[in-house]
Amino acid sequence: MTSIPTVEAVRAAVATVDDPEYPGISIVDLGLLESVEVRPDGDVVVGLVPTFSGCPALAMIAEDVHAAVAAVGGVTGPRVDIRWLSGPVWTVERLTGTARRTMAEEFTVAVRIGAGPVPCPRCGGDTAEESMFGPSRCRAVHVCHSCTEVVEVMRA
Amino acid sequence: MTGPWNADIREFVLAFADDEHLMGQQHTEWIGVAPFLEEDLAFSSIGQDELGHAATLYAIVAGEGDPNREGGIDDRRLDALAFDPDPSRWRSAHLVEATTDDWAHALVRHWLYDTAEQLRWELVAESTLEPLAGAAARAEREEWFHRRHADGLLDVLLPAPGAGDRLRAALTDLLPLAVGLFDPVAGEVQAVASGVTIAPFDSRMPEWADRVRARFDGDLSSIDLSPSDRATPTGRTTRSNAFGPLLSRMREVLDLDPAAIW
Repeated sequence: MTSIPTVEAVRAAVATVDDPEYPGISIVDLGLLESVEVRPDGDVVVGLVPTFSGCPALAMIAEDVHAAVAAVGGVTGPRVDIRWLSGPVWTVERLTGTARRTMAEEFTVAVRIGAGPVPCPRCGGDTAEESMFGPSRCRAVHVCHSCTEVVEVMRA
Repeated sequence: MTGPWNADIREFVLAFADDEHLMGQQHTEWIGVAPFLEEDLAFSSIGQDELGHAATLYAIVAGEGDPNREGGIDDRRLDALAFDPDPSRWRSAHLVEATTDDWAHALVRHWLYDTAEQLRWELVAESTLEPLAGAAARAEREEWFHRRHADGLLDVLLPAPGAGDRLRAALTDLLPLAVGLFDPVAGEVQAVASGVTIAPFDSRMPEWADRVRARFDGDLSSIDLSPSDRATPTGRTTRSNAFGPLLSRMREVLDLDPAAIW
């Protein structure tokens, strides 16, 4: 008989899951994890918020979270329910500093917070929007005036 | 409990889901054939959002009001709602069934639909059906840049001689279909009574018509835009001729092997 997992252990397991579009960035750092409930019988309910309703990675993320959490309880494992919550709404403010740094350094992706020019993750110069629509739903394409680098910007 | 749920509310939510589904499908059909690369990407992203909204709404229906109900929802239940109903059971507006290979039509429809969609989500922003209110909050965060996209193009193209004429011709073709978006659907009266929506959709039609006039700045007097005396609403119970081929395209992969599990 296995003892029921702690909430902390479940959260740690969820944190091992990376976003498929950003290998190396945990979905917890992306602000996708909203709630963890461990019931007295050992069942686990994980509440996630999608970045966008049409994000094609949702099913993959849910499967990865399921696998990671199911491994927490040992061989038998708890029954795990992964839920995409209808609220709250995800915003870029949910990104942690770690996520933002890794996006900037590894992916040349900036994050738009509020109004005003988005600084270039490479040189800090101002960027200007080139296209509202980028390589994925959540990113616009900007160009940096200073270093002329193309910068993808995760939109609010 | 997540809010009121019964057969009437189900019909009401399904009509919204069907519109979003078909609009999303239509947008995706421009990927690779839009006039330039940025528009391939734009229609792809916008279509993705509409399909996401449809999936959210179908999940509310599949969960009988609770998309997160205990035990979860089988993806095949969503597919069944999205692809299996008999054409007579669909509640889509004819505007989103119409297929066009003319980009002017696609752009004008995108604007007409998204302008109406904004008003439609506003009506359920405070819905007593909690997951529907949640969907509205997320949708509005996604929709503003659909409108910015359509308006940005129309700002440039409407004043241009050739393009402007094509866009106005498209408007003339599409307006009679677009007013059908506001046709009362089954369950709407009950949805209003239970607070699932705050008012009938066609109560927002005058505002939509004002926006159409302001946008296109044309003479729309030949088009019936008053909700009270326009052509008899169909309640969206009939399908247009375009629907059959559209459904076949949507089911193309599914029909290759109906027993396959994806």
